[in-house]
Amino acid sequence: MSTRGLAYTGGVGFALWRRSLLELARVRGGLLPTTVAPLIFLLGSLGQFGRLDQLVGFPTTSYIAWLVPLSCLQAAGFAGGATGANLARDIEAGWFDRLLSSPAPRPLLILGPVMAAVTRCLVPVTVIFIAGLLLGPGLTGGAFGLFMLYLAAISFSIVASLWGITLALRAKSQQVGPLIQNGVFIAVFLSTAYTPLPFLKGWLAVAAPYNPVTYVLQMGRQATVSGIEPSWAHTWPGLLALAGMMLFFGLLALRQLRRVDR
Amino acid sequence: MSALALERDPATQARVIVALAKRALRVQLRRAQFLLPSFLLPLLLLAVVASGTSAAQNLPGFPATGSYVGFVVSGTIMQGTLLAGLMAGIAIAGDIEGGFFDRLLSAPIHRASIVLGRVLGTALIGVVQAILFLAVALLMGADFQGGVVGVVLTVMLAALSASAAAGLGATIALRTGSLSLMQNLFPFVFVLLFTAPAFFPRALLNPVLEAISGVNPLSYVVEGMRAALFDSPALGSVWGGFTAGIASVALTCALAVWAMRSRVRS
Repeated sequence: MSTRGLAYTGGVGFALWRRSLLELARVRGGLLPTTVAPLIFLLGSLGQFGRLDQLVGFPTTSYIAWLVPLSCLQAAGFAGGATGANLARDIEAGWFDRLLSSPAPRPLLILGPVMAAVTRCLVPVTVIFIAGLLLGPGLTGGAFGLFMLYLAAISFSIVASLWGITLALRAKSQQVGPLIQNGVFIAVFLSTAYTPLPFLKGWLAVAAPYNPVTYVLQMGRQATVSGIEPSWAHTWPGLLALAGMMLFFGLLALRQLRRVDR
Repeated sequence: MSALALERDPATQARVIVALAKRALRVQLRRAQFLLPSFLLPLLLLAVVASGTSAAQNLPGFPATGSYVGFVVSGTIMQGTLLAGLMAGIAIAGDIEGGFFDRLLSAPIHRASIVLGRVLGTALIGVVQAILFLAVALLMGADFQGGVVGVVLTVMLAALSASAAAGLGATIALRTGSLSLMQNLFPFVFVLLFTAPAFFPRALLNPVLEAISGVNPLSYVVEGMRAALFDSPALGSVWGGFTAGIASVALTCALAVWAMRSRVRS
């Protein structure tokens, strides 16, 4: 691609990203649901299941340290999924048809909302992380652990965004919104959400090791869980899981976009 | 019969309540956007909590109920009924925005019948939910020592809980008339759920939450369900559950009727 082509492509991507962010500034409280829901889950789960950290062999003595990365990932997933719901609204309103009739490179129509998802997720993730830190767990993983938590959350928001975009392009209706968010919810909770793998029982003990989110959570938990110390062994499975999910849902979204375009 | 006479005729109003309840039931059971949160989501959380936190049975002080899934299913029923109540509020807000509510107001129907119809429909959804969730818990290995009587009492408590939640949902919907606001209330359902001993015994909750749960009427309802299911007064009081449930229904329905009158006046 020529320099001019690259500049054009960058310009279109930037404009689509900026449009998504402007919308946040215009809709007051637009980030509230994606921040409040995980925060309530964090506090509620802490209140209900907080004594689980007393179990022999639990990898931390602070249950909130176990929950904070989960809530960060949940918030990132909800923020990512919301971009899919917004795309569905754009499709219903006819705005997306105008984009399709433009000469903009097709992958950019997906890249714009994905970039917006990354930006959007930073607010709830940071709010939840700070709230969690104030409630007790130290940053046992240091700067490396913190970096891994943010990398896990940002990457997961991309995955959720691609999932949301795929469903929005398929359904072309805002009614798909709950399905997008429920998908994120299911993916996050069918993992080591509440307890580590050795404590799981029944079908979840069988399913959780096959859920890539289990490894993304492990990667993020290097920040706060003392029993999951920062190491390459706790990092690469998460990176691999994220790369696999991004590739899978990215291809699905592109395929769906091609169908809509035809 | 004049419109005023129709409004005051108990037989006519009973028919109106049943008709509106049937409509509420049809709408909630046919649309995926209503079914998904009130049936699928609680079942999912039951499966996750039952498998993911069952090690909690090894904690000192955890009541010996035989099956963990049997212990937590009361929380699932509570969650389902709360979400059904929210869905009722969303449906009312949808009726207000869509204009159906104005048509109801112009009909010779007592204002309270409109609220009671929705509440009755949601109570029936609560009954369906409770039966389904208990059946799933049995399939997952739950063992209810309370037998059929315990199950019937639990279903009745679920109906009360759903009615109270519907009354609350209706109050907010009638006060605000905003569909988008109602949809954004979804996370707040979990505040009510998590401030009750939904999945853990009260004594093992976080101390702050334990104190808050004392003033949440749902605590007594969920403990009443457990006491009925396991035929164990140590887990709660069945009659305490009924008292809290009936009081909550009376309060929230009165609030909803008041909200309805305010809406009509304005």
